[in-house]
Amino acid sequence: MSIDTHAEHDAHGGHDGGHHEPPEVVDGRQRMAIWLFIGGDIITTAALLFTYLYLRGVNTGGHWMSMLGYPGPQMAGGHTYAWYQNAASLADPTNVMVGKLAAGLNWTVTLLTVLSALIIWGAEKALRSSKNAKNYSMTCWVAVLVTVVAIVLSFKQLQSIPQIYVAVNDSQTMSYTTYDSSMMVIIGSAVVHLFLLAFLGVGLAIRSARGVINGDKWYQARLVRLFWVWVGVSAIVVSATTTFINVVH
Amino acid sequence: MTSTLEHVAHTEAPQGGGLARRQNIFTGFLGGVVFGWASWAIAHHVLDQSSRNFSDMVVLFLTFGWTVGFWLGIGALNGPGRWLIGRDHTRADDLYYAGENQGVKRYWKFCTDHKVVGVQYIVMTAVLLGAGGILAMAIRTELIVPGNHFVDQQVYNGFIAVHGMLMILALIVAVAGPWGNFVVPIMCGARDMAFPRLNALSLWTLVAAAGLLLTVLGVGSLTMGWVVLAPIADQAGIGMDFFAMAIIVFTVSTTVAGVNTICTVMTMRTKGMTLARLPIMVWSAIIAAALGLYAFPYFSLVEAQTLMDRVFNTSFFIASGGGTGWLQANLFWLMGHPEVYVILIPAVGALFEIASVMARKPVFSYRTAIAGMAGLAGLSMLVWAHHMFTTGWAPNLGGPFMLTTELISLPTGLFFLVIVGTLWRGNIWMKLPTVWLFGFIFNFIIAGVTGIYLSDIPIDNQLHGTMFVTAHFHYVFVGSVLFGAIAALCFWYPKVTGRYLDETMGRISFWLVFIGVQVTFGAMFISGMRGMPRRYSSYALLFEHTNFITTIGAYMIMAGMLVLLAAVVRCWSHGEASGPNPWQANSLEWLVPTPPPLENFDVLPVITEDPYNYGKELVRS
Repeated sequence: MSIDTHAEHDAHGGHDGGHHEPPEVVDGRQRMAIWLFIGGDIITTAALLFTYLYLRGVNTGGHWMSMLGYPGPQMAGGHTYAWYQNAASLADPTNVMVGKLAAGLNWTVTLLTVLSALIIWGAEKALRSSKNAKNYSMTCWVAVLVTVVAIVLSFKQLQSIPQIYVAVNDSQTMSYTTYDSSMMVIIGSAVVHLFLLAFLGVGLAIRSARGVINGDKWYQARLVRLFWVWVGVSAIVVSATTTFINVVH
Repeated sequence: MTSTLEHVAHTEAPQGGGLARRQNIFTGFLGGVVFGWASWAIAHHVLDQSSRNFSDMVVLFLTFGWTVGFWLGIGALNGPGRWLIGRDHTRADDLYYAGENQGVKRYWKFCTDHKVVGVQYIVMTAVLLGAGGILAMAIRTELIVPGNHFVDQQVYNGFIAVHGMLMILALIVAVAGPWGNFVVPIMCGARDMAFPRLNALSLWTLVAAAGLLLTVLGVGSLTMGWVVLAPIADQAGIGMDFFAMAIIVFTVSTTVAGVNTICTVMTMRTKGMTLARLPIMVWSAIIAAALGLYAFPYFSLVEAQTLMDRVFNTSFFIASGGGTGWLQANLFWLMGHPEVYVILIPAVGALFEIASVMARKPVFSYRTAIAGMAGLAGLSMLVWAHHMFTTGWAPNLGGPFMLTTELISLPTGLFFLVIVGTLWRGNIWMKLPTVWLFGFIFNFIIAGVTGIYLSDIPIDNQLHGTMFVTAHFHYVFVGSVLFGAIAALCFWYPKVTGRYLDETMGRISFWLVFIGVQVTFGAMFISGMRGMPRRYSSYALLFEHTNFITTIGAYMIMAGMLVLLAAVVRCWSHGEASGPNPWQANSLEWLVPTPPPLENFDVLPVITEDPYNYGKELVRS
């Protein structure tokens, strides 16, 4: 490889020069990284939806939203419970159906996620125009608060997933239908994302309060916003899928 | 020192203080053990001990605690922690983390210098290969005669699973880890990776994952091969929980590494280093990284779902709850086949580089080489179901998947074309890297041709699940990838150490491994064609002779690898001095001092020609 070690070194050269590139260059690099991470996350989201749609499609034994057994008494916690026996020993087995998860709660979490993304986006715009880092910090705390509420509601969602009491011979346990299993992993993934957003939001709030992020140095605010908006978009896609495609007819 | 720190106030930090400056691998392990133990204790305190899944829950707590504790102990979370509170690292901190003036101590730390990380990857690869190799010897010893009882049958099953996964992990990082870190940034004309802390994080996360995987051997009970097929995985003991968490943690490592590699190459090339001038090794690194970003999310998801089935009683893969093992198979192989090329492509990229330098010729049809690697990556996303031909899943899709699988032979054929075209009429320098390159060519032909047989459904119906398949993929992984990785080691070893790898010991190693591979897997092909199933701990007398021969061949491979290890260790301090550019190569890594200094270049070079203009006078700094 031919190289010219004497030409145009000024842009990079000097003993300490070249180690500290202009913020725009670093920002471009970090934005590429964020987009790549989002790309990986898109694959994960697609795989989650593949799981959901595949299990619904194959509906093994008609158990997408049911298990074979007898309807049983409702037990503590408001969950739907049922008895499930070894099918071979059942005189007259019936499918015990579980209901769909509450779409309202699902969409509430989604809307809160989207709302937090919009807050972050708006705050970043305001930061870049008004240069007011204090306001930005306060708004980030609001976004974090909204995210925390979404996390709490997500846990409520997880709690509301109906379990089925399974008794096979002398073995007893709780189980979930494949619909509920899919919803659990989807909600679990959302919770992980929301925790990450809360971490990033707290970081933005503290950093802007300390002046590390301000009207002139807002690149990290944009990076976080990109990821935050993606999480909001993915929440909408996942919620729409699970709301409109669920029951097997 | 890095280009990622523009928002940092560059004030000098006081020297010598702080817990962070006392962190190293030992505090990492200490943190992992303490947090793991604490999580274990908390789990016993808060969980219902009468629950059927209590043990699995405890393992989940424990493995999570181990991982976080290890990260904390090694110092991986210092950066995010300081980011959170708005107190970024100072320039002095960054130089400290880069290992400035720390001598060999920096190799035991969370060091951000890409060359240190590269060397750490060499050691990590050796550890993984060594552990997997010992298991391979145990497996082959068990199989040397029928009805042998060298190890217990359940232990044998565990060895099969852990051997497979250890070797897969080792080969994923065997080229991309050491050389993707050590030489790729220099080849681009960069001072370091784009994100040095993420770079160190990827290495130490791999260490944490390897710790979890090796624990499986201690707790046993993994009985279903490295693919950990459902629903058997649901019935396995707690070894399965360690295994699944190891994979989830490992995918964090690969994702971070992949993003870092792509960003480094795409955004940190020096002036004049256009994409058309990139050394071919660099292309292979970013193509493999991109493919990994596509493939590994499936891996983490399928293992997460396996864990959930075991820990939370979900029903993803359990038919009685509405699940299906086919989901596991689909998700696993959506990852599984691209992963083969995540492993293979960097090795091939290194061999293109070696062929060009050692034949004193430009890479033959540079663009074809790139197209071959990209084509292979693209096609690999469309072939996963050939692993499921005999399962009964979607028989109507058999034809299309057979076609896409056979199409794989086109880009792999381009690899041969490029390597042979590069060597053709070259003034070939038969040094150690070249010897391993020729070994690769021979083995890769066998690997490729036997792969074509297996892609045909009628033949696959006969051979699936037999030792023929095992022999085929060992020709891919051992005969091809490992040969490529060793060639790369021989080639770049002088750049790392300033010394040649001993030619005599290297050639002894080569012939032992090369002949060992033919003996081992040649005989294994015959066992497979005669119907011997995979993974069995005993077999009929019909297969006695071929198994005996296979085991002898495996011992030869092990002997060869031990000779290589001895050469690597001995020559590190006692090898013949090589100077900065022993192969008279043109790419940038050879034009910097040996060993390369921190930040690689005093001044960044400006590139004016491509790296393969052999025959012209070299222009050096």
